[in-house]
Amino acid sequence: MDNTKKILIIEDDQFLREFYQELLQAEGYEVDAAPDGDIGLIKIIAGGYNLILLDIMLPKKDGMQILRDLRVKPPSKFNGPIVVLTNLGQDAVIKQCFDLGANGYLIKSAMNPDQILAEIKTYLDKNGT
Amino acid sequence: MDTILLSILVVLGLILLFDIYFRIRTRSSSEQTKVLNLLQKLNDIILSSFTNVEDVAQKVSDAVAFDLGFQVGVILMIDEKKQMLRRIAISRTERVKAAVAKLGFNFKGLETPLNTIDNIAVQVAHDRVSRSTNSLYEVLKPHVTAGQARYIQDVGDVAISLVFPLTSRKKTIGVIILSLPKNESKVTDTRKKIIERVIKVVGIALDSAILYQDVLITGRELEQANTKLKELDSLKDEFVSVASHELRTPMTAIRSYAWMALHKSDIPLSQKLKRYLYRTLISTERLINLVSDMLNLSRIESGKIEISPIPFNFADLVKEIVEDVNAKAQEKKLKILILEQKLPQAFADPEKVQQILLNLIGNALKFTFPGGIITINFFTDGKVVEISIKDDGQGISQEDMGKLFKKFGRLDSSYESLSTSGGTGLGLYISKNLVELMNGRIWVNSEGLGKGSTFFFSLPVASAQILENAEQFHIKSKGEAKGLEPVAI
Repeated sequence: MDNTKKILIIEDDQFLREFYQELLQAEGYEVDAAPDGDIGLIKIIAGGYNLILLDIMLPKKDGMQILRDLRVKPPSKFNGPIVVLTNLGQDAVIKQCFDLGANGYLIKSAMNPDQILAEIKTYLDKNGT
Repeated sequence: MDTILLSILVVLGLILLFDIYFRIRTRSSSEQTKVLNLLQKLNDIILSSFTNVEDVAQKVSDAVAFDLGFQVGVILMIDEKKQMLRRIAISRTERVKAAVAKLGFNFKGLETPLNTIDNIAVQVAHDRVSRSTNSLYEVLKPHVTAGQARYIQDVGDVAISLVFPLTSRKKTIGVIILSLPKNESKVTDTRKKIIERVIKVVGIALDSAILYQDVLITGRELEQANTKLKELDSLKDEFVSVASHELRTPMTAIRSYAWMALHKSDIPLSQKLKRYLYRTLISTERLINLVSDMLNLSRIESGKIEISPIPFNFADLVKEIVEDVNAKAQEKKLKILILEQKLPQAFADPEKVQQILLNLIGNALKFTFPGGIITINFFTDGKVVEISIKDDGQGISQEDMGKLFKKFGRLDSSYESLSTSGGTGLGLYISKNLVELMNGRIWVNSEGLGKGSTFFFSLPVASAQILENAEQFHIKSKGEAKGLEPVAI
């Protein structure tokens, strides 16, 4: 069995996307990335990720729509928690994401990389797959 | 202001009416009934028809001309802007109408320049003294020829024209021309006096109509301006929120990569390079904090946030927050000490209290030197619960104390710490606003520079009395409620 944890990152900003990829790969995670909502949804539905980091403001299909679509069409392979990445510290948006099935959220601009890593570890451990 | 003036004018008009009424009551004959009827009409006009100046003028001109037995009544108003005397109402007998129509004239709306000094109406407007003339030409020139004027006089049966100034509030607002038929080539003194008095009322009636129209126009303009402002306000909100989101993406990238360069470099960094990167990182954090604080401030100031107070355990919330910031404290080699007390429950919005606590504890962390201790203590008198956050940091000078809770009230002595700490100069101002929205108080003590400082804030206790009226402490947002951006430590 492969013990490497798989993380999917859906983020449109190239620099941020590559930053997360680099940060997480350096920690030994296997990282897959998607630059927009359409590709993101396809990857989520294909499934098999231990954790999914999902941006809210995305081209083609925004994060909230992805969450909505997933309720109608569940992934073919089981996924770990979906953590919403946002720059909008807006309670209303975050609450809506939780209602739609997100398991947590990270406010990108409010954290340094070490804090982000710590949070991600917590989410992965909580779901100890 | 204009409405008051208007009421005064109406009252004045009525007083004048009664004055005339009592004067002529002593006289007998059908003339008395006529004048009384006229006064009644003017009275009704003043009281009911403040819709449009021209309508009022027409009604007044009809009433005065026909009830007093004139062939023609014309009201001309001064247009200050255009420097014109404009005919806004004309009342004529059928004979006069026919004569004018035959010549193909339409005098309604006709404008005579105020510098037409050989026109009697213009002269009266300037001199404010009534005049009379046998020649209609003197009243109508330069708009008609002498021959045309004579034709109207002959065919229309017009003899003398009396021209009176219309005044109100010591200002000439126009002129009224009244023309008599040929069989009445003389005006008795009594009649002239009655006319003069009636005309005073006419001046007031027209002036109040003008004022009323101005009030209406001003009201409409204000309404338009208000709609425009509302549109601008929502555009501003949209701009602020989009701009702040768009700003934060690149700022987050800078912050992340600066951190990576500093902490995950694959080559050893020189002291100099470390300092440069560290300063880049701190400044970016400060920029991000500034955007958050500005957003919070604009939400608080525009009443977009909601305050939903509930009873909660103040000390528990403090402990939670201290646990969260402990890592940061250790990084700075600071110790946070909580002195536990038995406290009644506080009545406030925990989310907002958390924001205030993060700000105050964050400040203590920023302004305390490594190795220092931050002590958190509580106090209650049964009515309020109070928290004190004491640090042994750099303290605050007496003269800086007053600036502390002001917008961008950064202190001269703390400027250096501010730029190296990521502070924005808005945190305490925001905290003060939030505390006060929850009926609390916030204040500070410091023995002076180098002697540390203690920040306090109090919240009401969730007493039975307060809980009974809990709903009145709830503050609803104006429009869509917005949350607060998180405070970074």
